[in-house]
Amino acid sequence: MIQDARTHARRLLTDPLVPLGSLAVLGAVAMASAPVLTWAVLGGLAGYALSGSV
Amino acid sequence: MLALFSAGLVLGGLLSSLVLWLLSGLAAPLPPVLRYGVAVAIAVLAVLRDAGAVRFPLPQNTRQVPQDVLQRDLLRGSLQFGFELGTGVRTYVSSTAPYAVAVALLLVAPGWAGAALAGIGFGTGRAATPLMRIASPAGDPWDAALRARLKAITIGASAAVAVLLGWLASGP
Repeated sequence: MIQDARTHARRLLTDPLVPLGSLAVLGAVAMASAPVLTWAVLGGLAGYALSGSV
Repeated sequence: MLALFSAGLVLGGLLSSLVLWLLSGLAAPLPPVLRYGVAVAIAVLAVLRDAGAVRFPLPQNTRQVPQDVLQRDLLRGSLQFGFELGTGVRTYVSSTAPYAVAVALLLVAPGWAGAALAGIGFGTGRAATPLMRIASPAGDPWDAALRARLKAITIGASAAVAVLLGWLASGP
């Protein structure tokens, strides 16, 4: 039961959309607090957009 | 091995972003409103391209990094493989967002620190895919989930880039 819950939580946390959502939130936070950090988020978005491409 | 691969991705991204930073001086004479305006317009165009609303080719290296770099020396090859992918110019580019960010770096010229952060972010963003896959539960059909969400990721990333660049452009 606990194992199933852990697996389910892990599956949710590792969903391929999680990094995109996290970066979007980080971008808003960076923009509001330290705009130069927005460039790290922009780079991250560009890099993650290439998921599945080698 | 994954650590070396990820380090290579970050180093490759850093190299490319610093090259763009060096070239960004060429756009410095243009007025800021024009530089930001063109960067945002191109980012919006990137969203339209990724959504399939417009079609046009972009320059890319239509090859994959040769697999034999891993066969010669696994550790060194992992670093090299990551580095080549991290530069963003040694293999296919399947999304328009990297072009939008590259153009923004060239036009907006955020300084060496901003450029370096963008490069480190690029490498880290690329590393996120294998890291998430490894972190997913054993036997989880993660690859299938990625395939199912790939279009949303591509369009979403481009849209987020456009919004953030628009936000930067409207800043002080």
